[in-house]
Formats: sequence, structure tokens, C-alpha cells
Amino acid sequence: MKGLIVKDLLLIKENIKQLVLFVLVFVFIGLQGNQILVFVPAFLSMMMFLSTFSYDDYNKWNSYAVTLPNGRKNIVKAKYIASIFLSLVAILLTYLLVILFGVANHNLNLEETTATLLGCWSAIVLLQSIMYPLIFKLGIEKGRIFLLVLVFGISALIGLLFQNIKVSLSSEVIHFLDNYLLIILPLLMMIILYISYKVSAKIVQKKEF
Amino acid sequence: MNAIEIKGLVKKYDEKFQLGKLDLTVPKGVIVGLIGENGAGKTTLLKAILNIIQTDEGTIKINGRDNHEEKTKENIGVVLDNMFFPELLTAKDIELAMRGIAKNWDTELYYNYLKEFSLPLDKPLKALSKGMRKKLEIATALSHHPDILILDEATSGLDPIIRNEILDIFLNFIQDENHTIILSTHITSDLEHVADKIVFIDQGKIVLDKDRDELIDHYGILKCDPDKMDQVKKEDYVCYKKNKYDVEFLVADREKIRKKYRDFIVDKMTLEELMLLMIKGVK
Repeated sequence: MKGLIVKDLLLIKENIKQLVLFVLVFVFIGLQGNQILVFVPAFLSMMMFLSTFSYDDYNKWNSYAVTLPNGRKNIVKAKYIASIFLSLVAILLTYLLVILFGVANHNLNLEETTATLLGCWSAIVLLQSIMYPLIFKLGIEKGRIFLLVLVFGISALIGLLFQNIKVSLSSEVIHFLDNYLLIILPLLMMIILYISYKVSAKIVQKKEF
Repeated sequence: MNAIEIKGLVKKYDEKFQLGKLDLTVPKGVIVGLIGENGAGKTTLLKAILNIIQTDEGTIKINGRDNHEEKTKENIGVVLDNMFFPELLTAKDIELAMRGIAKNWDTELYYNYLKEFSLPLDKPLKALSKGMRKKLEIATALSHHPDILILDEATSGLDPIIRNEILDIFLNFIQDENHTIILSTHITSDLEHVADKIVFIDQGKIVLDKDRDELIDHYGILKCDPDKMDQVKKEDYVCYKKNKYDVEFLVADREKIRKKYRDFIVDKMTLEELMLLMIKGVK
């Protein structure tokens, strides 16, 4: 499996160099005022990683990969691990730079940055968790279209629901979320990611390439 | 123990195409050539052996183990038609990846092959010629010390010189009597040089499974004028094909037929002629 991760990272090695540049630029812009922008590099890392699926599809890599020892298991595992690794690197790098710049400029707002980056990481993990099974099932081209439909569909649905139903959270719930969200959210995302991995593994186990 | 043993294999696609039911045994130490038209089922059969596709019935054993066992894959080297590493990668990248994929990967052997085949290290696959790409695929397949090589159309689209070089690599590989090669091709002349056994697939079924020597030494073609074709008895030929000016009969025992039909020409036959007659001919 290690080899498959190496292969994916080699595929986007040029992009990874650009990613470091993006982190620098967006941290710099973010610290000028709009700190919410620091999430951009991590999102870019997710998009970059998606291109490895396109390269794979184009050269029918998966058909070849399943002939390698433990191929079916490992192609799924490697995609999840490599993409989590990449987004974590992007986020940690951003975090580190924000702290460095913040300390240097005496305007460090750690709480806001932590919340922004954690929210961003959760969103990335959620998207990947929905996307990967779809891509393994349908291929990158169809998977992408399906994902768009799904994301817009869910957003519209949630929007409609909240418009028509008045949600009133009691102050206790808000207080609870305020205190524990930083722990609950990552845990929840890990569970979702794990389920998604299991679904993908099942799809690939039976798939004909 | 046989290298590959297939029993009762069936793979259904739709009403129009089905592979099998077929049985095939490939002993160790031989080169088996799979021939047949495009779409006859050669690639499907190889994909089934490699567990790339699921089968509906039957069993496939590799070195005595079920082909679903992951361990079997450690002993197989694969060259498929247009299925390989993404083409942005270089020969060096492939080495780095394979090191973490194949258990018996041999870096030194791989680099030796690259040198022997004069392949560049730092050029992406897409910048390589078709012949160079094929050689790189073969080098990759050989560098984890497999004992079975499975090759799908490994020589098609290549010029005779490169094809010859590649066939030499195969002959070299088969020097070890534990090694086995299955290769599919529609360039039948390649097989006349290297194959020990010829397996002919037509419309998903194995219609011929014979030693090459038997085919080349004993099979033949009897030619006669169309108006004399009634003189050839049904038990003496496998099939026949009417051409514009003559009729060709495929015969299984050339010498016997030559003695029996002294007025007709009975010639040796190439695998290409055999393929044509068996597909286009009438029984």
C-alpha cells in the first residue's frame, strides 16, 4: 500500500510545490484582515488530490493495480490515507504560519483560526467521504457530476427545512456545543470517514475493471 | 503442479457474448499463445485469470491455489493492453512506487532491464514511444521475480525489430523450467517462433488447444478446383473455405492426406491461415 500512496504523491508532486506557495499567499492575505481566507489552501489540496483519480482513470491504472498483491484492498486504503495526509499537511502548515505571523505581528487570534481550520478540515473530510465511494463506483467523470447534484440537493433541502421549521436551540445545547464542538466534530468526522472507507472497500472488492 | 488450471469457466456479459464454458490447463515451463479474432474473448479470459473481472461459474487455479487468494499475485507478472501507471510518471517514479507494492521487488534487476532496453529514467511515460513503453511495462512485470507472465497484446503495434527483441526477452525468461508465459496476440507469426502451445479462442470458446509442433508439422492445407471439391471426403478435413478460384481444406494429418489425394496440392500451413480457415471456413 505504501507504494500506492507514493505513486499518488508523485503524480501531484508539482502541485504540492504550488501548494506551499498558496499557503504562504493565503496566510498573508488572511492576516491582512479577512482571516477566514486561511481555509483556501486546504481546500485546494483536496482539489489537487482529486486529479489523481482522473490520471488513474485515463490510463486505466486500477485495472493494472488489482493485479498487484492485495490490489483491491490497497487502492482504496491508499486513496484515503494519501488524501487525509495531504489535507492535514496543508492545514497544519497553515496553522503554523498563522501562529508565526500572528506572534510576529502581535495580532494572534488562535481561537478563530482553530475554529476556521477545524471547520474546514471537517468540510473536506465530509466531502471526501461522500465523493470517494461515488468515484469508485461511477468513475471520476460521472462521480463528479453526481457529487454536484448531491451537494446542491442537500444544501437546498437543508435551506428549505430551516426556512420552514423554526429551530430553537436551548441555551444548554448551545453552551454544550460551545465547549465540546472542537472534540465532537473531529470524532464525528472520523466515524463518517471510516464508514465511507468501508463502503468504498466493498464497492471495489466486487468491481470489474 | 500446473501453472494454471481452469475448469468450467463461464463469464456472461449479455445475450450476444459469453466466455466459456471452458477448460484450460497450462503446464509449467511453456509459452502458451492465445489467438483469436478481436472480441473473441482473449482479453476476457486473461482478465478472469487475473481476477480483474468476476466470473459466473468455474474455478481458476494458479500454482495450485485459487486465483482469489492474494498470494497468487506475488508470482504473476502482468503486461496488459493500455493499462498501466498514469502516464505522468517516469521510470524512476515507477520504481519508487513498486518498491512499496511488490514484496519481491528487485531494484537492481529493474535498473538492469532499463539499461538493457535503453530506457530513459526521467522521461514521463507519455513522452516514450510505444515500443519503449511496452519494454518498460515488461521490465516492471519481470522485476519482482514472477514465475508466470501474462501478456495481453504485448507485441501489437510494434515494428518487427522491437517485436523480435521482446520475443527474445520471453525466450530468456522461459529458460527457467518453472517459468510460464501466456500471451495473447493476433500477430500469429510471433507465436510460430516462440509458442509451445497454441490455444485458439472463437466466440468465447476454445476451439483448438494443441502443441505448436503438432500444428506446424502435421496440419496442412489441401487446395483444389471448386468443381473437384466433392472428391474430398468429409472425414479427411476439419473445415473448408471456398475462394474465388479454389477451395482450401484444413487437414489434420498432412502426410496421410497427401498420399491419399495424390492429384491435389497439400501444403504446410501458417497459424494465420489456420485462423482464417477456422473462422471463415465451413465444417
